[in-house]
Amino acid sequence: MKRHPLFIMLGCLGVVLLLSLSLGQQTINPFNLDPLQLKIVLDLRLPRIVVALLMGGSLGVAGAILQGVFRNPLADPYVLGTSSGAALAAAFGLLATQGTGVWLVPLLALTGALVTSAVVVSLGRDAWGVRAERLLLAGVGIGFFLSAILMLVMSLAQADGVKRALLWMAGDLAAADWSVVPMASLLMLFGFVLALARRRGLNALALGDEVAFGLGLEPGRERTLLVLAASLLTAASVALGGIVGFVGLMVPHAVRALVGADARRVLPLSAIGGGMLLCLADTVGRSVLPPVEIPAGVVTALIGAPWFLIMLRRATNGGMR
Amino acid sequence: MSSLRFDQVCFSYGSAPCVVQFSCNLAKGELVGLIGANGSGKSTLLRLGAGLLTPTVGQVQLDGKPVRSWKGEERATRLGYLPQSIEAPLPFRVGELVEMGRAAARKDHLLSCKEVLAAVGLEGHEQTPLAQISGGERRRAFIAMILAQGGKTLLLDEPLAGLDLRYQYELLTLLRSLCQTHNLTVMISLHDLILARNLDRLLVIRQGQLLADGLPTEILTQQLVQQTFDLDPGFQVAGIGG
Repeated sequence: MKRHPLFIMLGCLGVVLLLSLSLGQQTINPFNLDPLQLKIVLDLRLPRIVVALLMGGSLGVAGAILQGVFRNPLADPYVLGTSSGAALAAAFGLLATQGTGVWLVPLLALTGALVTSAVVVSLGRDAWGVRAERLLLAGVGIGFFLSAILMLVMSLAQADGVKRALLWMAGDLAAADWSVVPMASLLMLFGFVLALARRRGLNALALGDEVAFGLGLEPGRERTLLVLAASLLTAASVALGGIVGFVGLMVPHAVRALVGADARRVLPLSAIGGGMLLCLADTVGRSVLPPVEIPAGVVTALIGAPWFLIMLRRATNGGMR
Repeated sequence: MSSLRFDQVCFSYGSAPCVVQFSCNLAKGELVGLIGANGSGKSTLLRLGAGLLTPTVGQVQLDGKPVRSWKGEERATRLGYLPQSIEAPLPFRVGELVEMGRAAARKDHLLSCKEVLAAVGLEGHEQTPLAQISGGERRRAFIAMILAQGGKTLLLDEPLAGLDLRYQYELLTLLRSLCQTHNLTVMISLHDLILARNLDRLLVIRQGQLLADGLPTEILTQQLVQQTFDLDPGFQVAGIGG
């Protein structure tokens, strides 16, 4: 019997979850807990694991969507600037409500992601439609601009809130708790279901608007719905843990290498793979140099940046065509 | 009984006229070739036929209804359209393309996934990534996708470009047999005048206007070819009669 990639990935996920429960400043045997260890697991490690799974899963699916819709292997919420837009709007919310706006932050992040997506797409298109290179440049430019505003806001804000916001921006899950989880899971669920419902559009758009039209679809409508799905997912991820790069870039490629490019398989497996990768990155970040914690976003960037450069090289050499 | 009908169709990108007063009727079972110089409006005509573009004047009718008035899924079940160049930046596999074609159509498929792949000479390649096959094989994989849609009218923009001699003839033979056995209507644009002689009917266009329409053996003359491609009067094209 052929081993299904889904089962292999679920198996890997199980291992990562066990590692993540066990490792940290104190090594714990999750099958034999004393009351203090139980408290550590329930109050500290479990919320972090759940946040990492939801956040990484959202990023993986958002990346899979954006790469297909824009026919660009280098697209993801971070590269296209939508993460920065969501983070800026969310940061305003955090500062304005002194950190109490638990329900407000995901919605503001969604607004930021939607507005940024709209601006980047409109800058990335010309009379003939969306251009891959143009879109990428627009996204990078907008992303830098919004990040600069975010830095500016934080350097002007009160000192005590800033450190938390800075760590949050770097994708630090140390502060993860249950408060944002319900609202963010809702956004993630909507985004994921919407993307799955438009899987045919996602497949067809990856082959170009004319092919999609020939297959009986309306390319403009499909693109709008799919970018909406990606924005929901980006907002969920930013609300959960700030900006984490490269998960959305790497995971869909790894998944496609395993199972091909069909969205029916790529979307669910990117969700699992993204959650697994971020959970692993967070576990590594808090285990390698105790008591220092390296933010998960820093760990993913340390792996992701070289990966990005390899992708770029393959893309420019025509290997991706 | 016509399957695709162009009725006094005019179209312009901006102010430059691209298709001028074009009328023709494609009958069921016909394998039709579209001949013309670069920029003469071949691709635009195929896009108008597929409903991608709306005529500025006139109408394109598919199975008795304006092509743009069919709902997407119904249109895809009736008509397959393959653009000239397709970029596939993601690592799709051959079988996944065929699946996409099948998913576009609703009901009884003309050919099974296996039959479609066999028809284009890619049997057993379901799991092969597009990046690992040659340009010609990739083109055949996309033709398999269009065939899997099961439409009775196919509009293919230069499907023979990039194929070697054998597959050019094999693809033409396949299209011809589909026309005969399944009563398909196929219109392709092409540049090879020798291959064009194997078709049922040729439409020759110049600057968006229909120059000639008829049996290849009857209309393809040195004079018509010179006129179509703006050649010097002394230029003789090999293989074309006087």
